[in-house]
Amino acid sequence: MLELLKIEWLKLKNYKAFLIIGIFFIIGIFVTNYMVLTVFNKMVDKTEAGMLLGKFMPYDFKHVWQTTSYTSGYILILPVMLLIMLVTNEFTFKTNRQNIIDGMSRLDFIHVKIALATLFAMISTIFVIVTGFALASTTGTEFSLHGFSHVGYFFLKAISYNYFAVFLSVLIKRTGFAIGVYFIYMSAENIISQLLDVWSMKIKVDSKLDLGSLGSYLPMNASDSLLSFPENPLKSMAKSAFPTDYHYLTISIAVFFVVLFYWFSRSIILKKDL
Amino acid sequence: MNILTIENLSKNYGKIQALQQVSFTVPKGTVYGVLGPNGSGKTTMLGIVMDVLKSSGGGFKLFDEMPNDSHRKRIGTLLETPNFYHYLSAVQNLKIAAKIKQRGEDDIDRVLDLVGLTQRKNSPFSSYSLGMKQRLAIGSALLGNPEVLVLDEPTNGLDPVGIAEIRTLIMSLANQGKTIIMASHMLDEVEKVCTHVAILKYGKLIASGDVNEILVNEDVVELATSNLDLLKNILTSFPNTLSLQIKDKFVQMNLPQGTANMEDINKFCFERNIVLSHLQLKKKSLETKFLELTN
Repeated sequence: MLELLKIEWLKLKNYKAFLIIGIFFIIGIFVTNYMVLTVFNKMVDKTEAGMLLGKFMPYDFKHVWQTTSYTSGYILILPVMLLIMLVTNEFTFKTNRQNIIDGMSRLDFIHVKIALATLFAMISTIFVIVTGFALASTTGTEFSLHGFSHVGYFFLKAISYNYFAVFLSVLIKRTGFAIGVYFIYMSAENIISQLLDVWSMKIKVDSKLDLGSLGSYLPMNASDSLLSFPENPLKSMAKSAFPTDYHYLTISIAVFFVVLFYWFSRSIILKKDL
Repeated sequence: MNILTIENLSKNYGKIQALQQVSFTVPKGTVYGVLGPNGSGKTTMLGIVMDVLKSSGGGFKLFDEMPNDSHRKRIGTLLETPNFYHYLSAVQNLKIAAKIKQRGEDDIDRVLDLVGLTQRKNSPFSSYSLGMKQRLAIGSALLGNPEVLVLDEPTNGLDPVGIAEIRTLIMSLANQGKTIIMASHMLDEVEKVCTHVAILKYGKLIASGDVNEILVNEDVVELATSNLDLLKNILTSFPNTLSLQIKDKFVQMNLPQGTANMEDINKFCFERNIVLSHLQLKKKSLETKFLELTN
């Protein structure tokens, strides 16, 4: 696998989009979190909402892992776009054929893309940890790993997004089209998931049947729903009769879809004409 | 040893049969031409052998074994179009190819020199002309000096000088004992370069074997006199006659290439009391032969 990744590195290192998106991604994670931190710092003691928040600080060590994981999730679209470009490039240049002709196996071809998707998720997670640590250190609170599981959820979310991106790329093969479908699908799933969530609440009230939030069982929303902004007085006020959060079920569903996307991508590459 | 053995290979794209039960064998050390008009299934066949296309039936062997990925690493292949990363230079692209083939990068400069791209080796692929792209693809196939080459339309997009250069290159590779499988729709290319040929038409194999047997060149002589049947009978005893047939107002006689001597034929007939009213040597062109085979 290391040899295969070295081949991918040769394709990546002189690719301008890789450099640009990479820089935007690193800056993006830091700047987004820094902005949230600044907003809260300004709100505290100065506004009505700030008064209500009391001593809640999203970037103290008690909350930072959850906050950073949640906030950084929005930047994951950047590595997704890069992945789509990298995989669809192979089809555009027909280098997928050339790689196979030169002696790479079809299985290795898809496995190294999956490995790249995993690697991107790992690197994203490392940036989240570094950013979280750096910002929390400025608050002067005592180091804690409280809520560090959210970093794990962030990793799961990144894996979900990236594997879905690889799947769409091998399915659609055209860069612009694949990115377009990705965005449309994400929006559509969000809308459907919100409708399902409302429906779950109705079921809970009407029949006392607590199925959890049905919207969080959709492929992308499963890992999305694991991440949320930390509990705080403002948020608690808005909280009403939500269905129970079946945490492990949601995690299992997210993992299930990750495996499914891997399997679909693999089948397409192994069985179809290239 | 056989380099490639194709057995009853078939491929359909929906209703279209791109390959129908094609079988032939490429022995080691031959220059094997796969000849056929556009759309006859040449690239489809080579694509299946290279695992970029899936066959609908039949199979093939490489190096007398069931095909696997390591076989492809031993074969230098140019299939259909040059496929490279547009944003990378020739050298950067060949580094990727070398790494996949598990060969060192030390051969890159040699192959770029062979195909005449040394001066432009650091320019991005996207800036190359069609001919340069084709040269790079040939260079990539030559990387690591493989024992077998598969070249699909190798002179596609090249100027006349380039075509001559590549043909010379192919012939010198053949002289080094390499096995070359070359697909082409150009008859003279196959005739000049190949030792063996397989002819495809609409996905069917219509002939295969030694190029001198398949693409045999003959001298054609047209003769006429008042009694064509008598003339035909008498000519059966003319030495080296390959075939005789009556066509319209002539008897057509086929003789081995370069052996037809008009004086001898005239004398032969006159000695047997036949006076010819028409005697003409017609060279049969390869194109006629090709059309005969493929029509």
